Amino acid sequence: MRFRAKIVDLACLNHFSRIINTIARLAKTCILRLTVCKLYFILSDKVANGGASMWCELSQGNFFDEFQMEGVAAEHNEICLELVPENLSRALKTAQSAKAVKIKLTNKHSPCLRVAVELPSLSSSGRIVTHDIPVGVIPRRMWNDFREPSVPDFDVSIYLPVLKTMKSVVERMKNLSNFIVIEANLSGEMNLKIETDLVAVTTHFKDLGNPPWASEDGCQSSAQGRDLASMAEACIDIKKLQQLLAGQQVNPTKALCNIVHKRIVHFILLHEEVSLQYFIPAIA
Amino acid sequence: LALRSVNSSRSAYACVFFSSMFFQHYCWTAVSQPCQKEKQLSLPCKLIIKSVLPVFRCVNVLERNVEKCSISTNPNDHHITFQLLCRHGIVKTYNLTFQECDPLQAVFAKHMCPNILKVHSRLLADVMIHFPTSQEEITLSVTPMKVCFKSYTEEDTDFSRTMVTEIQLSPEEFDYFQVGVDSEVTFCLKELRGLLALSEATSVPVSIHFDRCGKPIAFSIEDLLLEASFILATLCEAEKEAASPEPACCPQPCDSNADTATSKKPQQKGNTPSMGSAKPPNALAKQEVKSIPRGMVRDVPGLEGAATAAKAAGGETTEAPYEKVRELPMNSYLYKYCIFQFHSLFFGAVSYLEKEAIGDTFQSLVTASDTEEDFGALQSSQV
Repeated sequence: MRFRAKIVDLACLNHFSRIINTIARLAKTCILRLTVCKLYFILSDKVANGGASMWCELSQGNFFDEFQMEGVAAEHNEICLELVPENLSRALKTAQSAKAVKIKLTNKHSPCLRVAVELPSLSSSGRIVTHDIPVGVIPRRMWNDFREPSVPDFDVSIYLPVLKTMKSVVERMKNLSNFIVIEANLSGEMNLKIETDLVAVTTHFKDLGNPPWASEDGCQSSAQGRDLASMAEACIDIKKLQQLLAGQQVNPTKALCNIVHKRIVHFILLHEEVSLQYFIPAIA
Repeated sequence: LALRSVNSSRSAYACVFFSSMFFQHYCWTAVSQPCQKEKQLSLPCKLIIKSVLPVFRCVNVLERNVEKCSISTNPNDHHITFQLLCRHGIVKTYNLTFQECDPLQAVFAKHMCPNILKVHSRLLADVMIHFPTSQEEITLSVTPMKVCFKSYTEEDTDFSRTMVTEIQLSPEEFDYFQVGVDSEVTFCLKELRGLLALSEATSVPVSIHFDRCGKPIAFSIEDLLLEASFILATLCEAEKEAASPEPACCPQPCDSNADTATSKKPQQKGNTPSMGSAKPPNALAKQEVKSIPRGMVRDVPGLEGAATAAKAAGGETTEAPYEKVRELPMNSYLYKYCIFQFHSLFFGAVSYLEKEAIGDTFQSLVTASDTEEDFGALQSSQV
């Protein structure tokens, strides 16, 4: 198993750092899956995570100038590592003016991702900062747990409102209640509702638009033939929603969510070089 | 004016001297107690830092509003009064009680250290920024070819969980680089951050004096108006104690006057008894006091005005560093070592002015550190 990569371009480095920051907000520990072309940050829906799961996918070519990966075996040319994204975020935080950042998988006392940041300095030899981030190697037999989640059979799919607005609404609601109800219909309307003993607050969004989903084999999905005005709803943990929204530092190209009535909400945020999917299960 | 402090495990010691020029007015009066045989030359007193810090709390507010700060003592009453004369005629007065105490002094012969580095504070700050604020201890290792700061992890740490950060610098980055002996010293980073903040604010370069592991390391900054030293204990490889969070070994306060000049101290583990061992330095202090030339002018009592940070004589010290430093844990007492002397404003070694009025900086700096070595860094620098 070998992995080496290098980022030289500052814009790519910044972008990569921002993605890592977003991931760090969503998950304490996550899986990093490396293939020849892509990197995936995966959080599987275990009880420990409150049932939420995440799938974030990036093309390595958009970020790295050099990328060499040799997987566990020829037929399984992949590496799966478990790490704390906060560590990676911290290592990259002070690399904003770096000449180069090299990432390498090493195994001194225990497997580590070694992030070496070459910083400019007055002397002829630059300053080198090395961070050894401990990682756990996930054995092949567990790889099945970390496959790409399929899009659920949703009832309503709708584009999200401007994330900044949604974020400020949710943040205020968070002070009042622990749970929030998201409901939406196929007419481009979405409501965010909270209700406590003392107060009930609803924020209405209109004209959001519903993304067209081509059904795979022509047969009717549960979304078709559905009454346009009828709302599908799910009651979810407000903190998870807030974490997702707070982590978005750049406006995505596309942001939408799929609601399975009273079961799960599936958020999809697409940027040019990275896609993020986040699943929040509904509270019974 | 000297402010000193030591941390609870006595593994870090800090002292800051303010020259009289730092203040707009600096007046001392010797107080002689009729019951004592000799004139009491020093009145070391101690204050609880937690009580003093609120006086100088908001740096920005202070800079905007306070025109003058006046510090005066009333030894009979055991009170120190801080008066902030603000705009619009507002005067804020704080009366704090102090306790008399034995003087606190660390003896550490900087000139005998084989390794001396001098570096601009900006560099040190840039280095420390890579370590998480929760990082307790770091290891500095030097060879004539390179300098390396590394986060320190105890032997029994779970390596599969901790992130380790290491920074390598070349000797060229230092203003002054002397490595007499290859060494690797581990000290507490947290205790140091106070000095780093002060140094950044005053733009004074930091000097680092150290020896092999186990011997203390001193960080100091020095300019015309003030001199600050932080002396930290370093971990000794042979004596790692898993139990104690602070580096264990440090020489104890000197027990006899004769030994003060040397930096060799018997190695002892554990904490020193709090006050007892400070007594001999008292005698020492008196010695030093006598050697200071007495001024010809007897200043009038009624001390006034440590200049506020913004208006400090050199205009250098701002309260910003103190503000930052205040955020560090403050569990130690502030030992104020007031030596009453007749002192002319014209002369007196910068490093040796013991004056009452020094507000801000000291307290904060002092709280930050705990040294096992309380030793007269002062001595070597005074001459």
